[in-house]
Amino acid sequence: MDRDSALTAVLTDATAACGPTLRVLSGAAERRAYDTDALTAHRVQPGLVLLPASREQVAPIVRACLRHGVPYVARGAGTGLSGGALPAESGVVIALARLNRILEVDPDRRIAIVEPGVTNAAISAAAAEHDLYYAPDPSSQIVCTIGGNVAENSGGAHCLKYGFTSHHVLAVETVLPDGSVAVLGSDDIEAPCYDAPGYDLRGVFVGAEGTCGVATRIAVRLLRTPEVVRTLVADFPDVAAACDTVSAVIAAGIVPAAIEMMDNLAIRACEDAVHAGYDRQAAASLIIELDGPGQECAELFEQVSGLCSAHGCTRLRIAADAAERAAIWAGRKAAFAAMGRLSPEFLLQDGVVPRTRLTEALGGIARLSAAAGLRVANVFHAGDGNLHPLVLYRAADGEQPAAERLAADIAELCVALGGSLSGEHGIGVDKACSMPKMFSAADLTAMDRLRAAFDPSGLCNPGKVFPTPALCGEARAGAYQPHPLEETGKIQRW
Amino acid sequence: MVGPSFDPTPGDAPSGTTSAADGAESASGSSGQSGSPGPRSITPTTVKDLRDAVTTGTVLIRGTGTATTWGAPVRDPRTTVSLTGMDRVLDHRPADMTVYVQGGIRLDVLQAELATRGQWLPYDPARSEATIGGLLATGDAGPRRLGYGSLRELVIGATMVFPDGAIAKSGGHVIKNVAGYDLAKLCHGSLGTLGVVAELVLRVHPLPQTSRTVMVRDVNTEAAQRLAWALTRSATEPTAIEWCEPEQVLAVRFDGTSDGAAARAAAARTLLSGSLAELDHDESESFWFSHAARVIAEPGDTVLRAATRPGVDPGLVRALAAWAEHSGVKAMLTCSPATGGYTVRVTGGDAKAHAELVKNWRASVEAVGGFVMLRRRRPGVDAMVESWGRAPGGVEVMRRVKGNFDPENRFAPGRFAPWF
Ligand SMILES: Cc1cc2nc3c(=O)[nH]c(=O)nc-3n(C[C@H](O)[C@H](O)[C@H](O)COP(=O)(O)OP(=O)(O)OC[C@H]3O[C@@H](n4cnc5c(N)ncnc54)[C@H](O)[C@@H]3O)c2cc1C
Repeated sequence: MDRDSALTAVLTDATAACGPTLRVLSGAAERRAYDTDALTAHRVQPGLVLLPASREQVAPIVRACLRHGVPYVARGAGTGLSGGALPAESGVVIALARLNRILEVDPDRRIAIVEPGVTNAAISAAAAEHDLYYAPDPSSQIVCTIGGNVAENSGGAHCLKYGFTSHHVLAVETVLPDGSVAVLGSDDIEAPCYDAPGYDLRGVFVGAEGTCGVATRIAVRLLRTPEVVRTLVADFPDVAAACDTVSAVIAAGIVPAAIEMMDNLAIRACEDAVHAGYDRQAAASLIIELDGPGQECAELFEQVSGLCSAHGCTRLRIAADAAERAAIWAGRKAAFAAMGRLSPEFLLQDGVVPRTRLTEALGGIARLSAAAGLRVANVFHAGDGNLHPLVLYRAADGEQPAAERLAADIAELCVALGGSLSGEHGIGVDKACSMPKMFSAADLTAMDRLRAAFDPSGLCNPGKVFPTPALCGEARAGAYQPHPLEETGKIQRW
Repeated sequence: MVGPSFDPTPGDAPSGTTSAADGAESASGSSGQSGSPGPRSITPTTVKDLRDAVTTGTVLIRGTGTATTWGAPVRDPRTTVSLTGMDRVLDHRPADMTVYVQGGIRLDVLQAELATRGQWLPYDPARSEATIGGLLATGDAGPRRLGYGSLRELVIGATMVFPDGAIAKSGGHVIKNVAGYDLAKLCHGSLGTLGVVAELVLRVHPLPQTSRTVMVRDVNTEAAQRLAWALTRSATEPTAIEWCEPEQVLAVRFDGTSDGAAARAAAARTLLSGSLAELDHDESESFWFSHAARVIAEPGDTVLRAATRPGVDPGLVRALAAWAEHSGVKAMLTCSPATGGYTVRVTGGDAKAHAELVKNWRASVEAVGGFVMLRRRRPGVDAMVESWGRAPGGVEVMRRVKGNFDPENRFAPGRFAPWF
């Protein structure tokens, strides 16, 4: 059967199973709206877009795709930055935007059960009346969905202290790629367990970038709103001094809720966009936030302010109230949007380095940037070493290929410094070809075996995470080769 | 092929025989398949030797042997691979708050090493002498799971040796990392059926200045539930809440700065009514030590572990007491109300009585959506009751995972019977 008739068959089966409430987008213009996520450099036109009206409609859609051999991808808000929701050529998009109900907030158990299309921020909003919130806070939280967060194991500024999505998801009801429905991490989504027996499949599903099935209900952990929150912005005469301060804070045994850093280019862009009161002259600024019980928070905040001063901080601004704190964060969270002021186009990287190598990494990025003749702005989660270099370029001037090369070089520099290709945005199609820089063939084979256990037919979001010849070319130069000494345990790769 | 400390002594091998004191596993420990040589025990010291030790025959992976009885008995392992020869810290980076270790290092040894730099792994399973790889494979956690999460959240990188001899890594040395699938998660709770955890990178934390414990006596089931919710709704941030029955004691732990922990403990006391006592740092340590001993229990006891949604379910507690009385055994319960874990130690009575209690209480737990596994059992219990009850969702995927990684079913065969 060719793809067109297969798509027709999928549509017939899906509508027969779901009835008229299933929304179908089959016109070319309608489908085009789903041809990319926030990594707009990649675009693929899907063959069909289906928007289920209820979670019960998801399984029949997956089964129809399976029956007719059509690849499919789940889609939340489409804010992914690695092409995770990019459709397969003439494949099906299962868009979960309509599954946006918060089903339960249990303030005693501190659990919320939600549908996948609920936005990250909506969960905290629903929990707020109980003084509870959902901790992972991606900058995109107002629009991105919990389904997307689960797939990407998304992080945010406050994950330094509270952990990533994976730490906050107790159970996931999912339509598995074999068409069955299973609750991972329990057996009943309404009775989610902290420690269900057996292999931790829920843990595997979170962060699998939508390749292990479609989440239809998610049980998340809620945390008590901290008693006190204190926030400061510290300016430094150079990036190295700011990096040293980060290390000093951590070395003092303090785990702040967040430590964010911006370099001068980023500060200027944010300040121009949001007027949050950042100093446009500062070479680097740190935003440090502490939260928790009042007594401890006060003690530690004193200590942190002292460490900033001791490391040559030129200006220390302490948020006087919630409004000022919100302004500081509005500036930081608007960073990516603000880049439009600096450059018509930019690429965002997401590499991670060990915290103690931040200065080295930023130096390396500066050198690569100079060599490529392209500007790079840095705004990032300094506390956990997660860089967000923004490569600025003009497509109209033909700079895109050079920018893509620079972005890949930066990601691979992070790996060379003992870090990772991605801290929170995922591999998707964006960094799949760099995977052999970080993982050996044996590592990738093991991961692929795991994938095949979830998805024996290979139709669930294919072409993501792992390098494929189609995406990366047959023989990619510089692929990972284990050193003989590594095999004997004399040296370590990481 | 032969590891550096190859030990062919036939008597010294599988858990069933070496841990005779546990008396639980029915594994004969004698020959494997007919015609093959007798059982052997290997203690490799490098990843490569470890790999060579596991590529043929049935394999039982062993750490310090504290949990050889968890789950169903392993059938006739030919090779017992002990990880105790891989017990080193490979790289502690205090400034990065990470530590890179071999899988066979004991948790207490690791904690002592970290403490010299004012750090710790915020993880307190009862079996502190267990190896870190074994703790990951058992998916164990202690009372502070409430405050700090379980080991799966603290592992940031892993090197595993799979049955085909592949040495594969996932994760890395950085605390934040989403590149690739997280294979360490797969090993969490795998009980040696998928691969050997040869090396781990862990995220460590600064040691809290102090730890205090508030104890409340005469707390019945309903009160335990009520007080636990009062605590979780408060801003006092306890790192552990445990309730013990029949003692009816609720213990609540606070970690932090000296003044901060004291202030929160004081705030908690105003929430908790009844007969209160507050333990200082040393008293607190010794209370939790005895709490751990109770969870571990003694050879000959049966130990059940239940996972349910958070809460102290009064129905389950009553059912336990009633079934224990019915079978003429004594059942001691420790419950983690905020995370929904129950550990039950059964003493007294014969194997038949123990098996009966397991069956009956398991049915009660499963009726509320929970799971019950056996960690230990009185000899003879295995013939009468399964080690695993209802399976969690996705067991079909687990089966396929097992088939893809270990198609010949050589690693700990039988461990997950009757699931797979
Ligand atoms: C301005 C901006 C700021 C951002 N800031 C952050 C940040 O601070 N931290 C961070 O981590 N990320 C950030 N992101 C990235 C992005 O928002 C996250 O990756 C987010 O989790 C994606 O959610 P989404 O609903 O948009 O998912 P989509 O982009 O629609 O999909 C992402 C992936 O999830 C899969 N998926 C979606 N729903 C489901 C489901 N129900 N079941 C299975 N798979 C599913 C898709 O197949 C795809 O692979 C940012 C993005 C932007 C544009």
